Amino acid sequence: MSVDYFNSIIKPMLLGAQMTVLLFLIVIVLSIPLGFILTLAVRSRFKPLSWLTQIYIYVMRGTPLLLQLLFICFGLPMIPVIGDYLVLDRFVAACLGFILNYAAYFAEIFRGGLLAIDKGQYEASQVLGLNKWQTMTRIILPQMFRIALPAVANESVTLVKDTALLYAVAVPELLHYAQTAVNRDFTIVPFFIAGIIYLIMTLLLTVLFKWLERRFKFD
Amino acid sequence: MVLIEVSNLKKSYGKLDVLKQITFDVNKNDVIAVIGPSGSGKSTMLRSLVHLEEIDGGSICISGDYLVKDGIYSKPQEIKRITSKMGMVFQHFNLFPHLTVKENLELAPRLVKKELNAEIERRSTELLKKIGLSDRASAYPAKLSGGQKQRVAIARALMMNPEILLFDEPTSALDPELTGEVLQVMKQLAEEHMTMIVVTHEMGFAKEVANRVIFMDNGEIIESGLPTEIFTNPKFERTKAFLNRSLK
Repeated sequence: MSVDYFNSIIKPMLLGAQMTVLLFLIVIVLSIPLGFILTLAVRSRFKPLSWLTQIYIYVMRGTPLLLQLLFICFGLPMIPVIGDYLVLDRFVAACLGFILNYAAYFAEIFRGGLLAIDKGQYEASQVLGLNKWQTMTRIILPQMFRIALPAVANESVTLVKDTALLYAVAVPELLHYAQTAVNRDFTIVPFFIAGIIYLIMTLLLTVLFKWLERRFKFD
Repeated sequence: MVLIEVSNLKKSYGKLDVLKQITFDVNKNDVIAVIGPSGSGKSTMLRSLVHLEEIDGGSICISGDYLVKDGIYSKPQEIKRITSKMGMVFQHFNLFPHLTVKENLELAPRLVKKELNAEIERRSTELLKKIGLSDRASAYPAKLSGGQKQRVAIARALMMNPEILLFDEPTSALDPELTGEVLQVMKQLAEEHMTMIVVTHEMGFAKEVANRVIFMDNGEIIESGLPTEIFTNPKFERTKAFLNRSLK
C-alpha cells in the first residue's frame, strides 16, 4: 500500500470521524440531563407521569435503536396530514433518535445510582436542617453521579460504536467512507483504518472516565 | 427548666402499636439513658422527636413550642424551626462520604445558618480539637475508623449549636475496642452540661454518666428513675429480667 493511497483514503475517513465525534458530543451533552429528568419523572409522586415515563423507557430500551432511527427518518414523514411537517434533516433526525434512546438508558443508570444511596443520608440532611433542594444538589446528586460513573462510561463507549448506525440513514460518517473505499478499491485496508480510529476514540474515552473515577474517589 | 415534654405519644404500623402512651420530661442538663430490648420502640421514640418518624397521637413540646399537639403537627416551617434545636447522632454515623471531615462539619452551618466563614472555621477547628481529630480535617470518611467517624458525627451535630443532643445507639455499630473513645466524648459533653438523650445498650455508660434511666419494653415506658434505683433496685419483673440478661 502506497503512502499516496493511504493519504487519499484517510482524509475522507477523518472527515467521517468528525461527524461521529459531533454526533457523540451532541448526544452525550443532551441525553445525560434528559436522562436525569426522566429519572426524576419515574420517581415522581404524580403517578400518571411516573407510569408514562416508565412506558417510554420500556419502549426505548425494548426496541432496536436502528428501528427507532429508521422510524424518525423515514416513518414520521409518512404519517398522514402532519407527515409533511416531520421531514427532518437526516443528521438532525439521527441526533434526535440517539438522544431519545440514550436518555432512557441513562435514566435507568441514574435510578440505580439513587437507589444505592443510603436513606441515612437523607435523614442526616434533614436533621441538620438542609432543605429538599440543598439535600438533592449537595448530598444526593454528587454521590449519585459518582456511583453511576462506571455505568455512564460503559454507555458512552457503546455510543461511540453505535454512531455507525448513521450509515443506515445515509449520513456520511466514518464507516460510510470506509465502506465506499473498500467497494471502490477492492481492499480491506479501509476497514482496518476505521477500526483503529474507533479504538483510538474509545481509548481516549476510557482514559477520561478512569481519570474521573480517580478524581472523585473520596478516599 | 423543662426542655422536652412528651405526653401520650402513640404510633402504630397497621395493627402493631410501636409506641403506647409514652410520657416523659427532659430537664435542661439532663443526661437520659433509654434502655430496653430491641424492638421496644426506643429508636422510634427518639426519632419522632426530630420528626424522622410521624406519630399518630400525643404531644411533643420542645422548649415551649409544640412540634405536635394532640396528634396535630405544626406548620412545616415551624417544625423546621423547632427541630433545629436538636442535633442527632445515628447508629451508622451517616457522614457524607463525598465530603471531607471539615466539609462535613461546615456544610450545614454554611447552607442553613448562613454564618460567617470565619466563625464557622473557628468552631470547626475547635470541635475537631475537642474530639482529637485535628489532623484528620481533610480526610474523607472512608479513611476513618468507626470510632473516628462517630466522633466526627458528634462534632457535626455540635456545629449547629443544638440545645439538645439525641443519640440513637451511637456505639452499636462499633467494634468493642472502639466504643470507649466515643463514650469518652459523650461523657465530656455530659460534664459540660449538654442536655442529652441516649438510646443505648451500654449499661456502663447509663450507670455512670446518665442522671436518669428510662426502661422501655414493648412500646411502653416500664419504669424510669435514678440509675442507682433502676440498676440496683428495679421495681418491675420485666426490668429485672432485661437487666439480668444484659449485665451477664
